[in-house]
Amino acid sequence: MTTNAGASRRAILKGGLIGAAALAGGATASRAGASESLITEIQDWNRYPGDGVDARPYGKPSEFEAHVVRKNVPWLTSDAISSVNFTPLHELDGIITPSGLCFERHHAGIAEIEPANHRLMIHGLVERPLVFTMADLKRFPRENKVYFLECAANTGMEWRGAQLNGCQFTHGMIHCLMYTGVRLKHLLDEAGVKTEGKWLLAEGADASGMTRSIPLDKALDDCMVAFGMNGEALRPEQGYPIRLVVPGWEGNMWVKWLRRLEIGDQPWQHREETSKYTDLMANGKARRFTFEMDVKSVITNPSPQAPILHGRGPLVLSGLAWSGKGRISRVDVSMDGGRNWTTARLDGPSLPKALHRFYHEFDWDGSDLFLQSRAIDEHGFVQPTKDQLRSVRGANSIYHNNGIQTWHVNSDGVIENVEVS
Amino acid sequence: MWKSPKSLLLAAAVATVSIGAAQAQDIAAGEKVFAKCKACHMVGENAKNRVGPILNGIVGRAAGTVDGFKYSPAMAKAGADGLLWDEANLSGYLRDPKGFLKGNKMAFAGLKKDEEVVDVIAYLESFDADGKPATPAKQSQAPAGAAAAVTTADAAGPSRETTGSVTEAAGLKLGLGRTATPEEIAAWDTDVRPDGEGLPEGSGTVAHGMEIYDERCASCHGDFGEAIGRWPVLAGGQGTLQAERPEKTIGSYWPYLSTVFDYVHRAMPFGDARSLSNDDVYALTAYLLYLNDIVDDESFELSKENFTSIRLPNEDNFFDDDRDEEPFYADKSEPCMTDCKPGAPEITMHAAVLDVTPEDGGEENASGGGID
Repeated sequence: MTTNAGASRRAILKGGLIGAAALAGGATASRAGASESLITEIQDWNRYPGDGVDARPYGKPSEFEAHVVRKNVPWLTSDAISSVNFTPLHELDGIITPSGLCFERHHAGIAEIEPANHRLMIHGLVERPLVFTMADLKRFPRENKVYFLECAANTGMEWRGAQLNGCQFTHGMIHCLMYTGVRLKHLLDEAGVKTEGKWLLAEGADASGMTRSIPLDKALDDCMVAFGMNGEALRPEQGYPIRLVVPGWEGNMWVKWLRRLEIGDQPWQHREETSKYTDLMANGKARRFTFEMDVKSVITNPSPQAPILHGRGPLVLSGLAWSGKGRISRVDVSMDGGRNWTTARLDGPSLPKALHRFYHEFDWDGSDLFLQSRAIDEHGFVQPTKDQLRSVRGANSIYHNNGIQTWHVNSDGVIENVEVS
Repeated sequence: MWKSPKSLLLAAAVATVSIGAAQAQDIAAGEKVFAKCKACHMVGENAKNRVGPILNGIVGRAAGTVDGFKYSPAMAKAGADGLLWDEANLSGYLRDPKGFLKGNKMAFAGLKKDEEVVDVIAYLESFDADGKPATPAKQSQAPAGAAAAVTTADAAGPSRETTGSVTEAAGLKLGLGRTATPEEIAAWDTDVRPDGEGLPEGSGTVAHGMEIYDERCASCHGDFGEAIGRWPVLAGGQGTLQAERPEKTIGSYWPYLSTVFDYVHRAMPFGDARSLSNDDVYALTAYLLYLNDIVDDESFELSKENFTSIRLPNEDNFFDDDRDEEPFYADKSEPCMTDCKPGAPEITMHAAVLDVTPEDGGEENASGGGID
């Protein structure tokens, strides 16, 4: 993919009328019989040596992938310091998100903390309040786990109807990484949680002082204090030097730059669990403590930012599915807006509370398609439609929109985010 | 390697002159720019050669002259030919490393902004050849890194006795970490709960809160809590929770007053968190009650003693998660696979109608929900 092709895609998105096939012509193999100069002539890279091993001490993606970046939606928030950007899901494959493309959500920008200056405190209803250095934390037994992290507001802009044209924006507040760290239970055991302890408050060291209350049962189950992601240290924007990992639960609880854990006998009812991250229903009442992320999926290719450029013929449909309750057992796809469904092929590891990759290969005849995907998890939870969600919750919930997404493909291969009857 | 006493003297002279010109804010800004260099270069007293050479005393130094660093042949030759890192040469090099000196091995694309170049040079100038602050007067602006590293080195190790045996079963203690002191806990444990636990001593009136609010809060939240732009609305909105556009404010939505105190205390004002005294936070909380018509007397004083007697109107309208009981989740039957809906699909809503996707250039006309 060249940057020119990226620009072409934008032209298609904007114009909508230009034939995708015509634009795609340059990118496909030449007509039978004509020889390509790419093959018949010696290319620069085939003649002159390139950079040596000292040129790129920390490797970066090819310059031809420069369009594969996180993007902000400026109108969503007042200031980029307290805002969000989105993972380019349509450019990625497999189940692991590259570290530099994981969406970011900060409430007061990125805290830059030298590990030697970081401390983790555990106090409250414990036998002995403790302070750990980073060196201390690295002396506890470690584990490596792959988990997705989804913001509860992912797809939140779509409650009132189709709004953003691209899965990066509709579904891009998610990533999936391999975390390295210490089971939170080990740290809490070290301090000795008293029997009256029922909740845990996690606090970040950034200028927002992010706090969330977490039920102690969850904290003692599968939560981790992670210092690594994808085999290296956490990125600054993901909480370097440590973040909390709360598998399957909403991303806001995965406190970054984690500095304090307090044990108490009731929740703290802080800003992010009362005024935010509560789900307003149509009747004016609001659900609280909606921690778990529901079963969900989205087709990432083709999608509005990744139109079909190759014309009719063999096509690889691909997407992601996940559930905060465990593994995905099945994904179905529909070409006709949910009238008929075919079971897609799951590929790659199937890990609990991790992204799952699915594929469906088919021969596109050039007709209009209404693409949908529907995930089912190992506990039998089926991804609902957006109309089903709205019938119970109304359209003001903001959070936990896991409704089935529809992409309309027209005969030119141009794709739009729509809702259908 | 090429060394000349003459150019070392010159270097010292250049450094002395330019330090006087460097502004404190340039140095501070330069320290941030230097984050781009840190992966390869060190400055300060403990600096070592890494991927790139030590940069102590770089301004005015002859190129290619740091002991123990293996330069590219091109850089070594340039130094031998007399290349001096005065501000002009350094500026040229930092803007375009490859263009300035072909064949050098610095894998850095260059600083794009002139300001960044000026600032980072000012920052580098603040270190002398030994990595110490270039003049005593500059000490207060010296980078935090050096001083902080010294203070933390002592505290780095665990001070509790290690009990030794490695755990396999959960629950066995390793003896890691040290006991937190009461002062440390007090410094970080500022959280407040609805039952009043965590409230500090103190009090403040509506009238005093208004003064603080006008000075420190109104620029984002508006004179009456109505908010500027997309900053949070703090007041009003009562009776809108079932409307098409609910306005969720302290008065209309928030269940507990303790949340206001806790949040203002820990995170406000945005950009200068934790700068308000306990009395200030009581006063601001009182003023926010006033803006939301929950108290109507400007002389009302909120204190630790009367805090929990105040309830917010929407407290009873929250209920615990019951999503699993929603009909589409409670129904565990196999989903339909064929002929699930009648007729051909008809589009009921287009994203293009709203056209707010950034790549399409649409902005400022958001009609959907925010991310909160």
